[in-house]
Amino acid sequence: MLKSLFPLPRSAIEDWKPALEKFPGKSLHGRFQMGLLKGSASFMRFTVEGTLPDNFWDFVAEQVAAHSFRDIDDTLDEFSIGWVSVANMFDAEFAYSSYAAGDYVVLSMRVDERKISPAVLKKFVAKEEERIKRERELPRLSRSARLEIKERVRAELVRRSAPVPAVYDLAWNLADSTLLFFSTSRKALVLLEDLFKETFGLALQLQIPWNMGQRMLDREDALRLDELRPAILI
Amino acid sequence: MDLVDIIQEKGFIGQEFLAWLWFKAEERGGTVEVPELGDIEVVFEKHMLLEFGEGQASEKVICRGLQTELREARAGLGLGKKPEQARIRIARGEHEFNVTLTAATLEFRNVRLPKTVAGRDEQDDPDSLEGRILERIMLFEELTGLIDDLFRMFISVRTSAQWPEELLRIRKWTEAGLRQYLSS
Repeated sequence: MLKSLFPLPRSAIEDWKPALEKFPGKSLHGRFQMGLLKGSASFMRFTVEGTLPDNFWDFVAEQVAAHSFRDIDDTLDEFSIGWVSVANMFDAEFAYSSYAAGDYVVLSMRVDERKISPAVLKKFVAKEEERIKRERELPRLSRSARLEIKERVRAELVRRSAPVPAVYDLAWNLADSTLLFFSTSRKALVLLEDLFKETFGLALQLQIPWNMGQRMLDREDALRLDELRPAILI
Repeated sequence: MDLVDIIQEKGFIGQEFLAWLWFKAEERGGTVEVPELGDIEVVFEKHMLLEFGEGQASEKVICRGLQTELREARAGLGLGKKPEQARIRIARGEHEFNVTLTAATLEFRNVRLPKTVAGRDEQDDPDSLEGRILERIMLFEELTGLIDDLFRMFISVRTSAQWPEELLRIRKWTEAGLRQYLSS
């Protein structure tokens, strides 16, 4: 219904729906240029799984260009995600700063999303329902009529709202296949995993104490780690 | 198993790591001796989040204050609570870092890097930008490397035959913390 009213040209939102639905209503809490480049930083670590192609830098150039950020300010798109330069969130062509730094790939994941706060939606839906009831002199509206109003109002509000941007830096260490991602937002992590996989065909595994231990220990001790139960410290 | 389930089921490893690190740091008055690396300064300070119980029945307690006032948090350990998050100062040689570590997923939060000469070079030409980026990455990785070294020490002893002995020492330390708190 919504799509037929306002067809979204490059319907990125469909591709990213699973990730977005896992975290309904959560804001991305992205900050501009905090993290990798300056200021205090928060990050999580990943292991990059899979083998890199031989002509690696050509592959990166191609793939990053194919998945670079597309601006949606002048479109009706609800959502856009892609890579930009860590130095400048408007630089999706990497004209001013490369994504190559020594033996690292450094990128920013930019996410723009037109968001409607639930309170705003509720207000405009109530207003529109009242208007229609008065206009048609109805005591109450049917469930399907109310659903239709809600979708129409939502689409209208989305169209009128400006996309909210969020930017997250990453540094991918090619020598030891690890990646620092400068955010701890769960929603951003899920988006990163998907975008990274789509761009490079490589999976990211979050480093948590358990799998760090698995990697550090020899086989026998790793088996023991698997059997551990919580210790009583008192 | 799904990662979310693993994080929940194996979350105690991170909690025990933080508790062990705290004990280890206090055992030698603020330094931990890492094999092949020497002494690393490790100080728990300012902020700690403790958890008691599991799942829905869990309770969380936040303790804030100066280092000496973490006595309450230590007493919490003595009452069976486990650290969920801790603010740590960690230093080796000239470089001093501050980080809040979380137990379950080992997130590095609000990391403060040491001040360096190149860090003050704020020019925007591509070369100095790349230099600055690389320097920051090196520092971040120096910190994660130190945490890895400490974690490796912990996980080795935790899966070894020495663990019961180490656990006894930890228990003595938590008990002493509780006693001290109650008598003050």
